[in-house]
Amino acid sequence: MRLEILKAPVAFWSALVLACLCIAAFGAPLLAPYDAFDPGSANVADARLPPGSHGLFGDSYPLGTDPQGRDLLSAMMYGLRTSLAVGFGSVALAALMGVTLGLLSGYFGGILDAVVMRIADIQLSLPPILVALLIDGVTLAMLDRARYDLLAVPTLILAISTSLWVQFARTVRARTQIEKNKDYVLAARISGVGMFRVLTAHILPNVGVPALVIATVNLAVAILVEATLSFLGVGVPATQPSLGTLVRIGNEFLFSGDWWMSILPGGLLVAVALSINLLGDWLRDRLDPTTRTP
Amino acid sequence: MAFVLRRLLHASIVLLATGFISFVIIRYVGDPVNNMVGQTATLAEREAMHRALGLDDPAAAQFLRFLGNVLSGNLGVSYRYGEPVAKLIRERAPASLELSLSAMLLAAGLGIPLGVWTAIDKGSLLTRILLALSVVGVALPTFLVGIVLILVFAVNLGWLPAFGRGAVTDLGGWTTGLLTVSGLKALVLPSLTLGLFQMTLIMRLVRAEVSQVMRASFITFAVSRGVPRRSIYFRHALGNALLPVITIVALQFGNLFAFSIIVETVFQWPGLGLLVIQAIQFADVPVLSAYLVLVSGVFALLNLLVDILSPAIDPRLRDASHQGRAA
Repeated sequence: MRLEILKAPVAFWSALVLACLCIAAFGAPLLAPYDAFDPGSANVADARLPPGSHGLFGDSYPLGTDPQGRDLLSAMMYGLRTSLAVGFGSVALAALMGVTLGLLSGYFGGILDAVVMRIADIQLSLPPILVALLIDGVTLAMLDRARYDLLAVPTLILAISTSLWVQFARTVRARTQIEKNKDYVLAARISGVGMFRVLTAHILPNVGVPALVIATVNLAVAILVEATLSFLGVGVPATQPSLGTLVRIGNEFLFSGDWWMSILPGGLLVAVALSINLLGDWLRDRLDPTTRTP
Repeated sequence: MAFVLRRLLHASIVLLATGFISFVIIRYVGDPVNNMVGQTATLAEREAMHRALGLDDPAAAQFLRFLGNVLSGNLGVSYRYGEPVAKLIRERAPASLELSLSAMLLAAGLGIPLGVWTAIDKGSLLTRILLALSVVGVALPTFLVGIVLILVFAVNLGWLPAFGRGAVTDLGGWTTGLLTVSGLKALVLPSLTLGLFQMTLIMRLVRAEVSQVMRASFITFAVSRGVPRRSIYFRHALGNALLPVITIVALQFGNLFAFSIIVETVFQWPGLGLLVIQAIQFADVPVLSAYLVLVSGVFALLNLLVDILSPAIDPRLRDASHQGRAA
């Protein structure tokens, strides 16, 4: 399967783009031309310069500068890092919660199953952005700004994963219900293998593949939800801007025609989401075509 | 009949649960007395307010009182505006509703014909462009679409306003922007932004359904009878394809709630979405908890309607797949 990706040009190029973006994002401290967090690198005299211009002291800004004189390219790389980190974290947590609940309710059934599925049913009709917004918003209202800034990223990850866990739980539960009656499970239990081991080492590998597909599909969703929340002002704190925050800051200057400060980070966001989606589509077609949507 | 009662019971439990969460938020988050009396109040005044708000009663009594208030339309007083929340909601609901309805009309009006086209004319250039665009469309965050539209049509071309509702006429409690030119102009970009992803969804759905229906034997029979193509497409195929589409669209109304928050923020549209965002920014807890009750009420009602109606219309829909999207 590893080499088959070369046969699908769309998936191959998406994977390549995504790899480059990840390297740029997580290698930002080493690769970015300027350190976006270093106050000394922001030259207010160079604020709001269009792409391709040069600053007063000869600094070149390939993508222009933001309202505080920071190089936009560096800011975007650091912002991408934050966006990807929150996105990955949210999906990982959602997968953890969903798969665990799916395994437990699928295997044990009973009242646990009934309760979990009721909650899942209710939540499935709510759009992720609304759930995440309400959780995050109420938390922001409860804590004052300073304490919120410290807890912002964990709260954000928790809020987004709460909106995404249901798909994992449902799929894993359905599969677990099928697997639990199979011979290898019965054999393991008769031989005295503990409950935890049966679930993790025996059943999980057989029900885990669809979860991987769902994770890939939802990664773009998580990143876009985080970007939207940051754009609305209830996402990551200003000290750790993500791409959504950058769009928000740049948006204030849209009317004076300084388009690059919001459009370029936005474009990067779309590029990330699109390549994840295309790669995820290819992955899903190869691993589990049953989850394909029209 | 038992099915209907069971769904009603289910909906009531959900509403009760959200009501409880709402009550906990409004009662225990922040200090209601502090927000009501201001900073210069004396201790005696605070205690009087404490008693007046009934904060000494047992929690269960307070919860029941809260429920009674909600059911009779009293949703508290906003910290920020000092006005009853119910009044705020009533004032701003028309703006959100007009926006949502026009977005839906746009989405269906464009989505259905385009969906039919892409299902029928599979190889054409338009079809391939539309399908490619719909793939990109899923990766586009709504706020970015709004910003790009503002940039192109308001900033660069100057054809349409970038924010606000334009001039509105008050029809005895319902403010509408549909009767003025500036109101209509102001409606265009926000509706486009809000309706775009809905349109993509409807287009893909209609395409899938029409493709499926076209393979049915009664279509072949109609063709062999010599029924003109146009009649086949629109009367026979589309009619059958539309049933599941209508159900999914009704469910998507809930999605509109969420996305209208974004669109109203981008365009500064004075509706419920903007109210919520401002409530979050100003920690206006009564508005937030009222919004929670409102949202859960709308969703519960919507789901109940769909649950009751859809098996009646089309038994295949009992386990509809929900196409979720981020923003």
